[in-house]
Amino acid sequence: MARHRESTRAPGWALLASQLTSTRSSLIRVLGWSGVEALPALLSGLLVSAAVDQGFLAGRPGVGCLWLTALGAAYAVRAYAARAAFPHVAAVVEPLRDALVVRVVRGALARPEPDPAAVARLTEQVESARQLTATLLRTLRGVGVTLLAALLGLALLAPVALLLVLPPLLVGGHLFVRLLGPLVARQRAVVLADEQVAAQTGRAFAGLRDITACGAQQRVGDAVEAAVRAQGTAVRALGRAAALRSLSVALGGRLPALAVALAAPWLVHGHWLTTGQVLGVATYLLQQLEPAVRTLAGTVGGWVLELTVVLDRLAALPVPASAPTAGAPTDPADPTDAGATVRPGAAGPAVRVTGLRHAHGPAAQPVLDGFELELAAGEHLAVVGPSGAGKSTLAALLAGVLAPQLGEVSIGGVRPHELPGPLRARQLALVPQEAYVFAGTVRSNLSWLDPEAGEQRLAEAVALLGAAELVARLGGPDGVIADPAALSAGEAQLIALVRTYLSPAPVVVLDEATCHLDGAAEARVEEAFAARPGTLVVIAHRIGSALRADRVLLLDSGRGLIARHGDLQVLSPLYRELVGHWLGSVPEARPEARPTAGPGPEPQAPVRASVRPRS
Amino acid sequence: MRGWPLVLTLAVPAEAAATLALPGTVAGAVDASLGGEATGPAVLLGAVLLAGAAAGALAAAAGPACTADATVALRSRLLQHVLAVGPAPHGLPSGDLTSRLVGSAADAGGAFPARLGTFTALLTSLGAVVGLGVLSPWLALAFFAGVLPGIVLIRLFLRQAGQVFTRYQEVQSELAARLTGALGGLRSIHAAGAEEREAAQVLGPLPELSAAGHALWSTQRRTVWQATLLVAVVELAVLGTAGWQVASGALPPGALAAAAGWAALGVGFFEQVEALAGVAHARAGLLRVEEALARPAPRPGTRQLPDGPGELVFTEVVVRDGGATLLGPLSLTVPGGRTVALVGRSGSGKSLLAALAGRLREPDGGSVLVDGVRVDELSVPELRRAVGFAFERPVLVGATVAEALEGAGPPETRAAHADGFLALLPDGPRTPPDELRLSGGELQRLGLARLLAQRPRVMVLDDATSSLDLATEHQVTRALAEATRGHTRLIVAHRAEAAARADLVAWLDAGRLRALAPHAELATDPDYRAALVGTAAGHLSNLPPGHPSAPPKVR
Repeated sequence: MARHRESTRAPGWALLASQLTSTRSSLIRVLGWSGVEALPALLSGLLVSAAVDQGFLAGRPGVGCLWLTALGAAYAVRAYAARAAFPHVAAVVEPLRDALVVRVVRGALARPEPDPAAVARLTEQVESARQLTATLLRTLRGVGVTLLAALLGLALLAPVALLLVLPPLLVGGHLFVRLLGPLVARQRAVVLADEQVAAQTGRAFAGLRDITACGAQQRVGDAVEAAVRAQGTAVRALGRAAALRSLSVALGGRLPALAVALAAPWLVHGHWLTTGQVLGVATYLLQQLEPAVRTLAGTVGGWVLELTVVLDRLAALPVPASAPTAGAPTDPADPTDAGATVRPGAAGPAVRVTGLRHAHGPAAQPVLDGFELELAAGEHLAVVGPSGAGKSTLAALLAGVLAPQLGEVSIGGVRPHELPGPLRARQLALVPQEAYVFAGTVRSNLSWLDPEAGEQRLAEAVALLGAAELVARLGGPDGVIADPAALSAGEAQLIALVRTYLSPAPVVVLDEATCHLDGAAEARVEEAFAARPGTLVVIAHRIGSALRADRVLLLDSGRGLIARHGDLQVLSPLYRELVGHWLGSVPEARPEARPTAGPGPEPQAPVRASVRPRS
Repeated sequence: MRGWPLVLTLAVPAEAAATLALPGTVAGAVDASLGGEATGPAVLLGAVLLAGAAAGALAAAAGPACTADATVALRSRLLQHVLAVGPAPHGLPSGDLTSRLVGSAADAGGAFPARLGTFTALLTSLGAVVGLGVLSPWLALAFFAGVLPGIVLIRLFLRQAGQVFTRYQEVQSELAARLTGALGGLRSIHAAGAEEREAAQVLGPLPELSAAGHALWSTQRRTVWQATLLVAVVELAVLGTAGWQVASGALPPGALAAAAGWAALGVGFFEQVEALAGVAHARAGLLRVEEALARPAPRPGTRQLPDGPGELVFTEVVVRDGGATLLGPLSLTVPGGRTVALVGRSGSGKSLLAALAGRLREPDGGSVLVDGVRVDELSVPELRRAVGFAFERPVLVGATVAEALEGAGPPETRAAHADGFLALLPDGPRTPPDELRLSGGELQRLGLARLLAQRPRVMVLDDATSSLDLATEHQVTRALAEATRGHTRLIVAHRAEAAARADLVAWLDAGRLRALAPHAELATDPDYRAALVGTAAGHLSNLPPGHPSAPPKVR
């Protein structure tokens, strides 16, 4: 149990420790003020004892009150120390929150797929880490110091009482530490059970319509109910562990007072203690020690465990290494000049793919296997195929977002996935189906891929791609897009397309990037991109894209067949069927043998395909 | 009351009584020891301490147990009710319901311990003040003199902190909104290698968050330091008064210990402000759960489905939303084994009519019959034998894909053309649905497989193939026609082809049935063609000029 605790506990606390090192001086100040805050805890028994022995019982109540005023002064110092410690607590906790927020955001953006939990992590988990750290800083250290101060005061006032106090305190403390392991495990079990309930309920309720339509109420109800009951069981188990903890706390916090009470008559009779000292000891034990022990146990048993769990969650988040220095030329092929101008078409193929293989999981069948492709600079290729054939995977591999599992991808002579992000983007621009528009000016959105794009070029691109009306409606290039979600999907795609047109990359891949545009707008965009210097790959959503391309790549079951549109209709019944279907009439598949799938015929000189579908 | 609530009801007050008795017994023990006599008071002190410890331990176990029992009971009730009510608009939106079951039910489950705890703590504080008053009225007076300004202080803090906290939360949601936006464009960001740049963009409001955080601390700082002083003043005023009384001989020395103890307990009243908020929380939670439980659940019927061909009849059905009529009155018969396509512009009521067939929505008037039996009289399993659905965006519910597909086996997944990508899943059919990274088209094919496994007499396809790319849709449609041969089919159609394949088209316009005829007859009407995509005006417009575009074939 203890080993389990240690192994799972480490990452969260290591994260906290690494974040706290940068605010160490504030942390030390907080601890320093804690020492001052413990002043009443140290002095209370001594001063009460003096007030009684020298004042109230000596018939001089004025002197007694004077001693109590001294205690009041100690309290005032404590209040001042609490006040003085606050800015330092803030100086520890606020940078911690900032660091965690940065961590969550960078981690979320580095993941290959969007993580729906990232936003909850940003708001809820980071916030509880902040709150808990602050509470612990304010309570735990105060209580710990109070405990030590009270014991020290006790030793100064009546060393003999210390002998009665320490044994039960130590036994209770030992028991508490022994019980901590099971307590941590049970607390963790409760957190996991809570998450299960939330996840299962969320999934079930999101599918209410489907559950009703399938008559699956019983099955789903039973499954969620099991999670609900498991959560109840976990909470009850935690309660039982907490009861044991409460007993150990009572042992350490209360038995000392009882021991002193039992021995007191004898101690007073033997003149070991005066009346004032007895009252002073009682003050230490009941006003300082017992509450401190109780809070300490409650804090460690509750907040520390909660913080542990939250920090572990945050620490489990993979975070990218620090950003490479912007603009550092790390690539031997020096692609920096590729950004400025498109390379002249002659120097080798713009895109070369050899022996490419990719599977979504180790056990899964590959979506691409032994795939080959070669595109000349300036060529225009359309990619078609049934959904799930690996079109988007191919796009991600070309863009270097995915690394090839086997084989090689080369864009302009360099392996894209080995380039640092910004340089990669200067080689190849990929536009996915879901366009990214962020809150900010229209200009900042349009020049996202080329911050140096001038006013003239920007206006040209906007006009060429048919976005002039949209840009005007948004208030021109300096208009502000406050809520990107208010744009329609087609409008967002237009903005992403203009941005990509302005990109310096010599190779552009449009992955169904025009699917929300109408046919005429799509044709206009694709023609503009085809006329743009450089290589164009269009993953087709409509037949028009294939008709406009120099060559068509048909992706099916791992490999590709590449040819001109007219030739492909002869070569592939699947393609013929697809085209026929796209055109609205469905020719029956002819029972003729399909040519063996594989790398297409020799690449031909780019020719604009003649459009003569057979029917 | 029995079980854990009873234990808690006994243990919490017992612990409080022990706490309250402690200063008095300590005083007794001190005075006895000063008299150098009997150990009786010390034994009494021991008894009070041990009783308090035992009661405390019992309460520590009973509190969570009570909360757990109440939470489980509330959640189970809510869960069963939500499943019985079904989807919106009969039920509340799903995210809202989830937060009620997860959050509100847990808050409400803690109501009893919270109430008992707060009430007992308040009584304890009150008892402590009474204790002071019994020792000497002067002590109680000294206590109140210090406490009253404290109440003003707390009110002041709650108001100031409220404003600063609102600002903090606003900046926080601004950050969350920016992150949500960036996550939506994650593929673009990766492709552009712009992770760092976009992280900086998202983190723009962070300095402001930090400023709001610091402002929160400074508000809290002022209050904490004043409150600390106040507590000290109260305790010392009581202690000083007690000392004076001891000096004058009105009280024994032990009374000093008693006064100090009770003054501390009395000041503990301030800590209950937070606990009161907890009680309010629990009440709000319970209200939210009850609100969801108040939604009326449709009563399931008890009748069996008689033998029949699967004839689906809508008789004078009406659906309203407030004052507006969304659909009907409308009557329509789908003959057993035949296919009817529902065609109409968006908002014409196609999906609404389709939902009525399987009680996904209850009509406000009229009735729906399958083979002569009203669907609301069928038992739940019989209803699912009668009518099944495939949706535009199916939601898979279950621990594994196999479970979520409701028993669809290889024949069904093959017929829906889902076998290919299912074979690519890392854990095959045991893969949890959450881990699937499926396109809309792949998801739709799983929805079709699920429908095929259900084998209902009437199959309702509500835009169920819209996300398939055209090649796949063609394949799936053909396979589906094969697999569902002999079943009655009601199809919400957007494409001319799907309408052409149906035996009859029910053309809906503004919630009414405008025409019921074969597609070929309706196709001459331009209004009708405008309600469909894929007719001559649609996607062929972007073909190069001179292309011999073929009109849709009609079988």
